[in-house]
Amino acid sequence: MKLKTITIGHVRLISLYWSRYAVRSGSGLVYLMIALIFGLSMAHILIMPVEQLIARQKREMGNADPQFIKKTIIDIGRPVIQFVFGQKTLEEIGQESMARQRSFRDKDGGPEDAAAGPNKDADIDPWITFLLEKRPALLSAIFMLLIFGMPFAISFLGYNQVSGDIQSHGLRYLLLRTERSSIYFGRFLGTVIFSTAVMAIIVVTITFYLGMKTRIYPAGALTLWALHGFLALSILMVPYIAVCSLISASVDSPFLSLVLAKVVIAGVLLMGLLGSIYWKPAKYLLYALPWGWQSNLLHPEPARCLLAALGCLVYAGFFLFLGYYHFERRDL
Amino acid sequence: MTHVVSIQGLSKSFGRIQALSNVSFDVPSHSIFGLLGPNGAGKTTLFSIIADFLKADAGRVEVLGIDTRNIWKLCGRLSILPQDARFQRNVPILEQLVFFQLLAGRTKQQAQEEVLQSLELVGLQSFAKRRVGSLSHGMVKRLEIAQAFLGSPEVILLDEPTAGLDPASARQIRDLVKQLQQSATIIVSSHNLDEIQELCDHVAILNLGSLVLSGSVDEITLADREYILFLSRPLQDTELQQLSSIDGVRSIQMPSHAGANHGKGSAEYLVRLNLSAEQVNQDGVLAAILRGVLDMGVTPRKLTEGRSLESQFLEVTGGQSSHP
Repeated sequence: MKLKTITIGHVRLISLYWSRYAVRSGSGLVYLMIALIFGLSMAHILIMPVEQLIARQKREMGNADPQFIKKTIIDIGRPVIQFVFGQKTLEEIGQESMARQRSFRDKDGGPEDAAAGPNKDADIDPWITFLLEKRPALLSAIFMLLIFGMPFAISFLGYNQVSGDIQSHGLRYLLLRTERSSIYFGRFLGTVIFSTAVMAIIVVTITFYLGMKTRIYPAGALTLWALHGFLALSILMVPYIAVCSLISASVDSPFLSLVLAKVVIAGVLLMGLLGSIYWKPAKYLLYALPWGWQSNLLHPEPARCLLAALGCLVYAGFFLFLGYYHFERRDL
Repeated sequence: MTHVVSIQGLSKSFGRIQALSNVSFDVPSHSIFGLLGPNGAGKTTLFSIIADFLKADAGRVEVLGIDTRNIWKLCGRLSILPQDARFQRNVPILEQLVFFQLLAGRTKQQAQEEVLQSLELVGLQSFAKRRVGSLSHGMVKRLEIAQAFLGSPEVILLDEPTAGLDPASARQIRDLVKQLQQSATIIVSSHNLDEIQELCDHVAILNLGSLVLSGSVDEITLADREYILFLSRPLQDTELQQLSSIDGVRSIQMPSHAGANHGKGSAEYLVRLNLSAEQVNQDGVLAAILRGVLDMGVTPRKLTEGRSLESQFLEVTGGQSSHP
């Protein structure tokens, strides 16, 4: 199929108009709220125990021991990352968390006691070691959770790129003023811009809060890792938004588009994970979307990171192509 | 160019419903072209295919010599007032229309000026900063018309432009359409046959997705040779023969249902005058007929030119709506 024609100026105009409209229409605000609540809640769940520990140390010892705090964070962060990597179940993580809390309560959480924890696993995965020990561990754990959870939230932003205007025939005001391609790609780009802005808000808020509250990581290291995480999250959202574009261009109802986007994004993950319990090759279903390799965006090897980012763009291109192919030919 | 819109063998179906079946006609340049038909005849489908909102199953449409499958080549040259298309409710009018003009390559200032001019034409200038959701139905209709008139389109499609408007606004829109005829070719669909007869110089009538009649309004209504004369009493056969002998008169008939009582005790009786099409001085023939009628002691009450479009419409469509 040939791309009939596209006007870059129109794509720019439509994307900017659409990203503003996303706020006005409410769908952008809903996504912003959901993404913020999810992102900040995850951050809160991970940061709160550290804050409590720091407060207790200050109360009991006069000041906090950064080394001890860092090791405790690694203790907290490891099961989270292992869960995202599929090494541990939620039940195991819950049991470990309970045991850790009991340990703090019974032994009063002295530095010597807790320090024994982090290096218990001699065969720790180098990737996890990188995330927990070579980078600000708390931020790594938060990023891993966001990388796992944000694809579920993105459909709240991407579901209505064109379906609502197909249903209301509102697109007809645009169809004689620009090309279908400019509308389709312009709205996709506008959604990506909005998503990126939301990611920036979340990452900046979490990083600032983490930096101010814990003061255990050097500002430079924290900023650089935050930037990496922001880029990883932003790029990761692109293929999922493209999936939403494809669905939105294929149905006339925004509600149906939202439901389908949810079913497809979550369904691929569930079928891949649950299916592989009974039939191993089912795990390859995870590669229908970036689920199968998206954690590589935080891989210690830059080449793997770049490959993952490239993969996101290739997937996005594929879904966009399918969506545009349909949008160009369908009745509007 | 003689024809700015050319429709050839157009067919479209939605599942088992044949919305359009092999429709072909041309729209002359700088005409106001009326598209008529009962509900469900295929008018909106035809408009939607011309604007490439819908894809035809067969046939082709050319606007200004460009195949509408390449509709982007007509950006800025073709505009439409679509039926049932909604604006974004929570965005101010001005912002939405300025956005349209920015797409047309205007600067922001030019776009604002053009939009305000267009809103002024439809009496909405003072509502420019209001959100669409706060407008009444009639105001939204006028807004839709304003967007169709934005810029300098060469062909404008108006799908029921006066539906839902009060009489004064409808008159204003009709006047506007007439003014625009100087610079554009306008295709109008409407259920208001009097409006179409007043406004349009050419019409096409669709019924059940097929074209049943197409041509100039004068041809269709026989305005060049048929007149209806309303009289104070019925004419006798001898009187009819006497009038028929006037030079230039082809026939004079008094239909059996010609008598009509319009209340208040005054009755009118109509006779249908059919003049020779080649007769040059029709005014002279009409004057002779009226003199003859007066000499017979009958008072002429009214003279109308041609058949009404409504009677022709009902005749060719069988007076039926496609959807009972």
